[in-house]
Amino acid sequence: MNNFQNEDPEKLSIPEKTLWQRWESNAQRNPKREAIVHWVAGEEPIRWTYKNLIETAKKFSVRIKEAGIKPGDVCAIVIRHNPYLYPLYLGISRAGALPAVLAYPNPRLHPDKFRQGLEGMSQRSGLDYILTERDLDPAIRPLIEKEGNTIKSVFFPLEWDIKTEIDPKVDAEVEQIALSVKETDPILLQHSSGTTGLQKPVVLSHRAILNHVKNLGAALKFSEQDKIASWLPLYHDFGLIACFHIPLAYGITTVQMNPFEWVLAPILLLEVITKEKATLTCLPNFSYNVFAEKIHDDELNEISLSSLRATVNSAEPIRYDSHQKFVAKFEKYGLNPLALSCLYGMAEVTLALTIHEPGKPITELYVDRNELSKGVMKFAGKDSVVRVCVSSGKLIGGCDARIVDENRKDIPDGLVGEVAVKSVSMFDGYRNYPEKTAEVVENGWYFSGDYGFIYKDEFFIIGRKKDLIIVAGKNIYPEDIEDTINQVEGVIPGRVIAFGEEDEKMGTEQIAVVAETKIETEKEKNDLRLAILKAGMAIDVNIHIVYFVPPRWLIKSSAGKPSRKANKERILNREDKQVWSR
Amino acid sequence: MISQELKKVILNELNLDDFDLQDETMAPEVPGWDSLNHVNIILAVEKFFSVRFKSYEVLRLKNVGDLQKLLDIKLGK
Repeated sequence: MNNFQNEDPEKLSIPEKTLWQRWESNAQRNPKREAIVHWVAGEEPIRWTYKNLIETAKKFSVRIKEAGIKPGDVCAIVIRHNPYLYPLYLGISRAGALPAVLAYPNPRLHPDKFRQGLEGMSQRSGLDYILTERDLDPAIRPLIEKEGNTIKSVFFPLEWDIKTEIDPKVDAEVEQIALSVKETDPILLQHSSGTTGLQKPVVLSHRAILNHVKNLGAALKFSEQDKIASWLPLYHDFGLIACFHIPLAYGITTVQMNPFEWVLAPILLLEVITKEKATLTCLPNFSYNVFAEKIHDDELNEISLSSLRATVNSAEPIRYDSHQKFVAKFEKYGLNPLALSCLYGMAEVTLALTIHEPGKPITELYVDRNELSKGVMKFAGKDSVVRVCVSSGKLIGGCDARIVDENRKDIPDGLVGEVAVKSVSMFDGYRNYPEKTAEVVENGWYFSGDYGFIYKDEFFIIGRKKDLIIVAGKNIYPEDIEDTINQVEGVIPGRVIAFGEEDEKMGTEQIAVVAETKIETEKEKNDLRLAILKAGMAIDVNIHIVYFVPPRWLIKSSAGKPSRKANKERILNREDKQVWSR
Repeated sequence: MISQELKKVILNELNLDDFDLQDETMAPEVPGWDSLNHVNIILAVEKFFSVRFKSYEVLRLKNVGDLQKLLDIKLGK
């Protein structure tokens, strides 16, 4: 039974206009059903039933209120994989505040850079509180005391007492707050990647997410038997929306793994799918390569993927080869090749715009690469250089999209243009950033900056207008890298570009840097390269390849700055002997 | 102590000429050794020394010294 689609709202004692009401209603209907299975390698998983999850969330919500956090306050959550993160998140929502999950800093990230990132977010989106672990206190505390900062306090909610009974009076006050929240009110804040204040904080309403649950749920044909297994971090929209919000609102089970454990031992997700009999999982493209090429067959003896009815590829460009390798390796372990699915979307429409319906073959078009680069989709002939374009499927319910030219005018099917989107799950704009919102939203249409074409109602995404780099599903702004590398001694300031270079082996992009320098000897160049790699490390960016070019080599754009697009093309032509690379 | 052979395999995989790898050196301290690259380094070590690590063994590694110890066990040292 499809419990969301067919449930008679009249039978429910709780109105469901907000996510909190929806979660509470699920707990009332299926109190013993598992909501979240918190998975840690080598340990017995911790299993939150809907009833336990809601009861614990209520305790957190009372502590939130007692801490002085008010409705509408933004609470940044910076906590590692922990079973109490989930009820804390729900509790913040019950108290009418807005959770915003942020990445816990990688050890390589310099504390100053971490603080600068928080400061940038604070100035842009107005973070009110940081809920974190005590280890981060020394890094965050100086920020609280800084003038002009919006962050009022830091709390350590994992140390809060949630064992003893809560004050019923405060609980009743929180309940009143929860009831006063409207469906059009914001539920959460999501930050795009970036470290220097370039982040665009996306605000989503309860209604946007509930609409998405309905429409994405219908497109994926969710049923009560479904169970999602996820290694994705909750600071990423693919993890937060697809693998946390959607299942919890739908009333099914999600298994949450530690992303850091998954990257070290990718087989863990396959174990989770096998043991938990998961039916769905969400994977950025590079994961398919990792599974296909980085796990030994002799470790797979006890793996069975026969329970999977959908593996959804999203968050970075979908590559034909990655799917082929994955199926070739795992069909013998029970993987149904028709379980492969693709999703295209963006945080600005909550998550999905299009999806390929699981259970059917994915459309793959063999097109002429040269024609495609001119903006025309033409099937490959015998003399063509072929590019295989993988379909991202058809529009989900409640969405509309069109392909437009640079003047935002419609162009016919088969021509490549920018994807413009309308959705019932549209965001409410970038928080405190009206000028940025106005740049990308016009007459209710969101202009995505992604390039693609439509063929027989299916969407094919082939590139992007923005210079964003996507490494393993993580968005990285080249500006962040360039600002850092510009400060490395030996690099000519202002004469650096960063771009994403395709890594076919890994099924993702890798970061490349081109820098002008006057240095000439091999030793000096190697030393400078190492300095650049270390500068990247300090902002938690792994620079994969460094290109050195002589002064005045970089082509300037009309704005007078080095052009990323033109210089990327020039570098990748690999014809200029002046270019040093490693 | 990190053997010269292990050091060579790691640095070769990371495309580095030299880096001071000590027992207590952790991956995030080494240029290029990020989570995406970690699995490549482990596979390169396995291939060079003709050994096989289990995923759970890899998960427990905290630093290069742990990797050396695990390798020594596999090699019967």
